[in-house]
Amino acid sequence: MSDHSSQNESAKNGDTLRRKLFSTDHKSVGLRFLWLALFSVVLGMALSLVMRMQLSQQVVGMFAANGASDRLAAITLLHGSLMVFFVLTAAPQCGFGYFLLPLQIGAREMAFPVLSGISFWMTVASLAGIASSVLIAPESGATLWLISVTCFSAAILLASLNICVTTIEFRAKGMTLPRLPITVWAWFITAILSLLIFSILLASGTLLLSDRLLGTHFFIVISQSPAMLPVIWQRWFWFFAQSEVYVAMLPCFGIVTHVLSICSRNPIWKERAVVLALCAVGLFGFCIWGEHMFASGLNPYTPLVFSMLASSLGVPALLLIFCWFGTLWGGKIRLSTAMLFALGFVSLFLTGGLSGIFLARREFSAGATNDALVTGHFHLVMGVAATFAILAALFFWFPKFFGRRLNETLGKIHFWATFAGVYGLFMSMHWLGLLERANSAPFSAEFQMLRTTIMVATVVTVSAQLLFLCNFFWSLWRGEKAGNKNPWRATTLEWFVDSPPPSENFGGGIPIVFRGAYEFGVSLGGEDFVPQHLAPDQMARLR
Amino acid sequence: MKLDVKREENMAGTSVLDDIELIIEDIGGGGGKPPFGRDGGDSGDGNHRIPGNSSARKYAIAIALMMVAILMFFMAMVAAFLVLRMTSAKWIAFRIPNLLWLNTAVLLGSSATLELSRRRLNAFDEKGFRRLWMLTTVLGITFVLGQVIAWRELISAGIYGSTTLAAGFFYVFTAAHAVHLFGGICALLYVGFRKFKESQMTRNAAAEVTSYYWHFMDALWVFLLALLYFGK
Repeated sequence: MSDHSSQNESAKNGDTLRRKLFSTDHKSVGLRFLWLALFSVVLGMALSLVMRMQLSQQVVGMFAANGASDRLAAITLLHGSLMVFFVLTAAPQCGFGYFLLPLQIGAREMAFPVLSGISFWMTVASLAGIASSVLIAPESGATLWLISVTCFSAAILLASLNICVTTIEFRAKGMTLPRLPITVWAWFITAILSLLIFSILLASGTLLLSDRLLGTHFFIVISQSPAMLPVIWQRWFWFFAQSEVYVAMLPCFGIVTHVLSICSRNPIWKERAVVLALCAVGLFGFCIWGEHMFASGLNPYTPLVFSMLASSLGVPALLLIFCWFGTLWGGKIRLSTAMLFALGFVSLFLTGGLSGIFLARREFSAGATNDALVTGHFHLVMGVAATFAILAALFFWFPKFFGRRLNETLGKIHFWATFAGVYGLFMSMHWLGLLERANSAPFSAEFQMLRTTIMVATVVTVSAQLLFLCNFFWSLWRGEKAGNKNPWRATTLEWFVDSPPPSENFGGGIPIVFRGAYEFGVSLGGEDFVPQHLAPDQMARLR
Repeated sequence: MKLDVKREENMAGTSVLDDIELIIEDIGGGGGKPPFGRDGGDSGDGNHRIPGNSSARKYAIAIALMMVAILMFFMAMVAAFLVLRMTSAKWIAFRIPNLLWLNTAVLLGSSATLELSRRRLNAFDEKGFRRLWMLTTVLGITFVLGQVIAWRELISAGIYGSTTLAAGFFYVFTAAHAVHLFGGICALLYVGFRKFKESQMTRNAAAEVTSYYWHFMDALWVFLLALLYFGK
C-alpha cells in the first residue's frame, strides 16, 4: 500500500475512523460507551442548571406562563433519562465493563463481539430518540421516548447476555471464581440482574407502546376513573425502577472495593463476604421488585413483607461498609484522586443510607414523592455516589485506556470542590424539603438562604466538573505519559499488558492465572504485592 | 490507621515484577493441553477447557440465559394479564379462533420433526437430516402464517386490539410470540444452509442449540394458549 499521496492518506484516515467507530473490539466499544456517557452527563448537567433556574424563577412568580410546567416536566424527564440510562447504567456496566472485563479475566475478546457493536449502536439510537423526544410535540414525543427506552432495554439485554457468557465461558486458565477480581463479580451479578429486569421494562414498554400505537388499553382502562390511569403504569414502571437502582450501584460497589484495596495496599477484608453481599444486593434488589409485582393492593400483608425486604437490604449494605473499613484498616493509604473519589463514595453512601432511614419513616406521614427531600436523597445516593465511583474508575483506569495519566493536582481540586459542592447542594435540599413539609412560609428568610446556598453549591459543583473536563481533554493529548505499565502497583491482569492494550489483549494467546486478585502485603522483589499471573516457581526465584 | 501519603513515588520507576512476562497459553494450534501443575494446587481445574474454543458451549449458555430473559418478558406480560383480569370491573370474554388449535398442532409437529431430524444427523444421515430440518422450517413458517390468518379472521369479525382487554392481550401475546419464533426460524434456516466445514462449531452442536430454543418457543406457546383459553 502506498501512502505517499495525500489522497491516500485522507482515505486511510477515513478508513481508520470508520474502523474505530464500527469496530467490535471490546476496548473500542467500551470507550465509545464512556464517550456517550460523557456526552450525556454534560447535556444532563446543563439541563439540571436550566431546571434550577426555572425553579428559582417560579418562586418569584415569573414562570407562570402557559406551558411552563409542561416544559419543566419534559426537561426533568430528559435529565432523568439521560442520567439514569446513559450515565448510571451504561457507563459503569457497559463502558468500564466492556473495556476491562475481558482483560481482567484474561480473555481475548467478549464472547460475542458483534453483539457488543449492536448493543452500542442501539444505545446511540435510543439516546438520539430520547434527546429529540423533547423537541417534538408532547404526544408523539412521549411515544418516541417510549420507543427509545424499549430500544435501550433491548441494548442492555444484549450487553448483559454478552457479559454473562464471557464471564462464565471465557475466563483464562486458572481464573477460578474465587480468584475473580471483585469488579468482575460486580459486572457479572449486575448483568444477571439486568437480564431479568430489563426484560420486564421491555415488556411494560411493549404493552404501553401497543396502547399508544395500536389502541389497546392495558394501562388506559376505559371503565376506570381517569385518576387511575398513571397509577397502573407507575406500578409497572417501579417494578423495573426499584431494581434499576441496584443495577447502577452494583458495578460501583465493585469498582470502589477494588480501588480501596489497591490504594490501601491491603487485601479486601473478607473478600468472600463482599461477593456474598453483592449477590445479596442483587437478589434482594430483585425480590423487592417481585414483591411489588404481587403488591397490587390486594393483600394487607404485602406492605409488611415489602418493608422487611427493604430493610433486609441494609444487611448486605452494612456488610459492604464493614468490609470497606476493614480493608482500609492498617493500610498504607495512598490518597490518589481515584482513592479520594472511592472514599467520597463511601461517605456519600453512608450519608445517603442514613437519610434513607429517615425518609422511610417520613414517607408514612407524607405521600408526596417529588419534593426537595426525596430529590435530595436519591440524588445523593444514586446520582452523586455512583458518579463518584465512575470518576474513581476513570482516574484509576485512565492510564490503561489512553496510556497517559490524568493530572493529579487538578484531580484533587476537582474532588474537593465536587465533594463540598454536592454536600452543600443536597444537604440544603434535604433541609429545604423538611421546611416544606413543616409548611413554613415559602418566602421566609430561611427559604431564601437555602435557595441561595443551593444555587451557589450548584455553581461550585458545575464549575468543578468543567475543571474536570479541562483536565480530561488536556490529559488525553498532553497528559503525563503513564511510563510504567502498572502505575498503581495492582495485581490484576490488565496492568501487565501495554497501555492502551494491543488488539488481541494478550498477543494471540491467553494468560495463565495462579492466584487471587488481592495478594497485597507480601514482600516480593522490592514490592508489596503478587500479580495474579505469577507462577509459584517464578515467585520462589524472586524470593 | 496509618495514613501514609506517598505521592506517586512508585509511579515512575519500574520494578522487577513488571519484567515478568505473562505465561501465555498458546491457543493457536491444535488446542493441546498446556503443561499445568505449577499451581499451588488450589484450583482443581484439571479438566480445564480452552476458553473461547468451544463455541458450542458459548451458544448453549447464551441460549439458556436468553430463555430466562424471554421467560421474564412473557411472565411480566402474563402478570399484567392476571392482574387486569382480576381487577377490571368489566372483563369481556373472548373466544379464541379455532384455527389456533390447528396451528398448535403444526408447531408441536415441528418440534417432533426437529427431534427426528437431529436423530438423523447423529446417525450421519445428512440427506435425511436436511429433509426433516427443512420440513421443520416449513412447519414453523406455516405456524406464523396460520397466526396471521387467525388475526385476519378476527379483524374481519370486527375484533380489534382496542375492542376488549382480552382481545388486546390476545394480539400482544401472539405477536410477541411470533416475533420470537421468527428468530427461531432464522436460526433454523441458518443451521440448514450454513456450511459448517470450516467453522469451529459442528452442525450437531448448532442443531442442538437451535432445538433448545425451538422447543422452548413451543412450550411457551402451549402455555400462552392455555392462559388465553382458560383465562378468557
